[in-house]
Amino acid sequence: MAEAQRMTADADGGMTVNLGPQHPSTHGVLRLMVQLDGEYVRSCEPVIGYLHRGLEKMFEARPYRQLVPFTDRLDYLASLNCNLAISQAIERLGSVSVPERAQYIRVVLCELNRLASHLVFFGTYAQDIGATTAFLYAFREREKILDLLEAMTGARLTYNWIRPGGVPADFPDGFAEGVRAFVSAFVKELPSYDNLLTNNPIFRMRTEGVGVVSRDAAIAFGASGPMARGSGLDFDLRKTEPYEIYERLEFDVPVFNEGDCFARYRVRMEETVQSARIIEQCLRDIPPGDTMTKMPKVFKPPVGDAYSRTESPRGELSVYMRSNGSPTPERVHVRAPSFAHLSMLPCLLRGVKLADVIAILGSQDTVLGEVDR
Amino acid sequence: MTAGSAGLSPSARGPSGGAGIAGRIAAGSVVALIGLALASVGCNLVARFVEGSPLTEVVGDHPLLNALVKSFIVANFVTLHVLFLIWWERKFAGWIQARLGPKHVGWNGLAQTVADAVKLLVKEDIIPAKADARLFVIAPFLAFMPTLLTFMVLPFSATWVGYDFGLAVLFALAVSTNVSLGILAAGWGANNKYSLLGGARACAQVLAYEIPLAISILAVVAISGSLSLVDIVESQARLWNIAAHAPVMIPAFAIFLICALAELNRTPFDLPEAESELVSGFHTEYSGMRFAFFYLAEFANNFFMAGLAVTLFFGGWHGPLLAGPVWFTAKTLVIVTLIMWIRWTVPRFRVDQMMGFCWKVLVPLSLVVFCAAALWSVRVQ
Amino acid sequence: MRVLSDFVAGFAAVFRGLWVTLLNLVGRPKVTLQYPFERPKVSPRYRGLFYLPYDKEGDRLKCVGCTLCAQACPTKVITMEKLGSGKHAGVSEFTMDLGRCMFCNLCIEACPFDAIHMGPEYELASYDRNASVFTIRELAEGGAEAVKRNNATIQAALERERESGGGGGQQPLVRLSVSPGNDPGAAKP
Repeated sequence: MAEAQRMTADADGGMTVNLGPQHPSTHGVLRLMVQLDGEYVRSCEPVIGYLHRGLEKMFEARPYRQLVPFTDRLDYLASLNCNLAISQAIERLGSVSVPERAQYIRVVLCELNRLASHLVFFGTYAQDIGATTAFLYAFREREKILDLLEAMTGARLTYNWIRPGGVPADFPDGFAEGVRAFVSAFVKELPSYDNLLTNNPIFRMRTEGVGVVSRDAAIAFGASGPMARGSGLDFDLRKTEPYEIYERLEFDVPVFNEGDCFARYRVRMEETVQSARIIEQCLRDIPPGDTMTKMPKVFKPPVGDAYSRTESPRGELSVYMRSNGSPTPERVHVRAPSFAHLSMLPCLLRGVKLADVIAILGSQDTVLGEVDR
Repeated sequence: MTAGSAGLSPSARGPSGGAGIAGRIAAGSVVALIGLALASVGCNLVARFVEGSPLTEVVGDHPLLNALVKSFIVANFVTLHVLFLIWWERKFAGWIQARLGPKHVGWNGLAQTVADAVKLLVKEDIIPAKADARLFVIAPFLAFMPTLLTFMVLPFSATWVGYDFGLAVLFALAVSTNVSLGILAAGWGANNKYSLLGGARACAQVLAYEIPLAISILAVVAISGSLSLVDIVESQARLWNIAAHAPVMIPAFAIFLICALAELNRTPFDLPEAESELVSGFHTEYSGMRFAFFYLAEFANNFFMAGLAVTLFFGGWHGPLLAGPVWFTAKTLVIVTLIMWIRWTVPRFRVDQMMGFCWKVLVPLSLVVFCAAALWSVRVQ
Repeated sequence: MRVLSDFVAGFAAVFRGLWVTLLNLVGRPKVTLQYPFERPKVSPRYRGLFYLPYDKEGDRLKCVGCTLCAQACPTKVITMEKLGSGKHAGVSEFTMDLGRCMFCNLCIEACPFDAIHMGPEYELASYDRNASVFTIRELAEGGAEAVKRNNATIQAALERERESGGGGGQQPLVRLSVSPGNDPGAAKP
């Protein structure tokens, strides 16, 4: 009799396992309905929407200058990059020019945030693969970035410090020196990460050849950022469609052709080096001047629309914005990279093992804040 | 070990650097050695007294009394030791991860595990509604009992051994494998999909790694020519196996260590409780004292495997000056720490890679090592 | 042969990983902050609990109740009750429901009188939803006493104005002393 109450197998003899919405390895509140055949995955269906706050609708009900704080909640691991995307859209809509110094500051802040985001990726990915200690080392370094950003913006996670028209304040005293010191120390720290994780044979076994995305598939699914560059697609908006002052900066775009989890991991780790390079150049070249363009009290851009494309740590984060001449936007749409990447999962996960589900999901570095919006 | 911790504690902060690290290691080791020496003088006296006292002779003559006293001692030793080991693991993991570890309950958090044990004791005992209650209830004990039984043959010294007989090695192997029975029962009984997967993984893993483990032990047996653990240690009186027969014993120890990690479900073989995939595997549904028993079994097993390694490769209780049990425990703790160190460094295998590694790499390698050991023993004789 | 060299390289890599953890075990300072016993030192720009600065010269709160901050707030956190008008304007009530607040700094940047700031206090969690509603008595620099004095000053000024027969409308607003303080919005050269 007790047997009748036991968990039931699926009609085809498989087993449905829910990974999430509360599960130690789903980054955020993603739910994966995984059909298992033993350890093998038959099919997988991502269920999203647990973090839906209706941000795009909220944008429509608020004046332009009040939109930025909400974007902090999109990709909360790199909120400055989201601030930048929406600020650029507003600036294009109203043809607002941004002081040069502000552009440099924006790039420094965004790249610092990219470093922080990739460090979170490094830590959580190691955790996903089962190496607990790398997580703590990554967060130790990230904490230094957060301290720097706190000195700059006053907040540790939701910065709201890139605004339409510039940045609200200049570097505080000692910030540039602090960033330089951190960046040079961080670059020296990277070999220990390689020794701890990158070269570890178990880590290599777990990631090499797992979750391979071909170049064509990456294009077809609209992959961007490290997901695309891990599949041999040389696509970085900072190079292909430079915004702010990126065209003046010298940096490489790491591209790997393998398309597996390890390639994506390496793209991100190489990107941290490039971010460090960018930050050093910006701090060297930064001109004096204002940081904010004076904006009218009630900002009413002319009728029209604007699209701003930025390269967030996760990929192409774009904002479409349409104005009808009123103080509030008529429509705002956010093109979130994680959303496009999540749509790949059902294809990627077919036939892999349960442990690979975590490895592949982790290598996408999804942030649910921007998926659900 | 606790004394050694003083040298490594965060109070000794300073800039990092090559020379600083070397100095720190040296200072730490010196402090550890002095502390160990001081601590063991006391134990030494006690050990000498117990071994020579008339009480032991009276007890030793009475079979029932003997068994009772011994099992009482073993059970208490295991429990108390696990309390210490859990604290040490936390502390060690903390230091490795640039954290402090437990800090506030007792000296450097030494009583933290006691506090946690009390907490687990008073927690509500939850049996999931659709679980197989009988299996669910009995599983922690199924896991814990074999562990306790294995301590019966672990020789702390020539006389401090529960029961040594001609097949002690085989007995230890046979009994310790039964832990997987408890894990499987837990996985099935909890009626949870994560638990089931964890239980199935554990069973496959423990059974597969038993083979190279047994063969690597046989390599030792081939050289010492006995299946009795006491005899194996006695044969190392002059020189430890790992040094005396280095060409075969070092690979054998490597295989033994890897298999021990797998038997203990420790990273890189912690697939049964892989928290990133299976939440916490077979003990997902457990709470309170039943969970504590799994923990107890895990750490007691840890000590047993390390003790077995010391017995087989590192000369058991042999060592200068100090009493046998002190040496044995100290060596065992070093191996336990090594296991922890590995645990906090490496990532986790995937289930097919874990099996492939066993069958394609470890089993052939262990056979090679065993043959080499057989040839070596002929040469030695 | 390749398999063998890979095997050896793999083992070597594991040992290098062990070396990294060993170095961190003995060679690196521990970074734990023992939170309730040690507290982080927050930066001067830190965005913590709000306060309404008190103007010692004018013996009143700097806030004139212009509601610019309330208008700038994306989540409508701020409500206030104006006291007086013209050059003697002030607030008698100023309530912030911090349960909704994003600490986005927009209100502070909107204020032309530098009359609302964020302080370094960050422990704002409470067991009660209502406890996150902060009234003027909790927000004012100097607490309820300051509010009392603020109200008295403004009332007295209004009284004087009424006695002198009005006409204050032509005069410029009372020049409130503006200190740079820790205003995060103030651009530094």
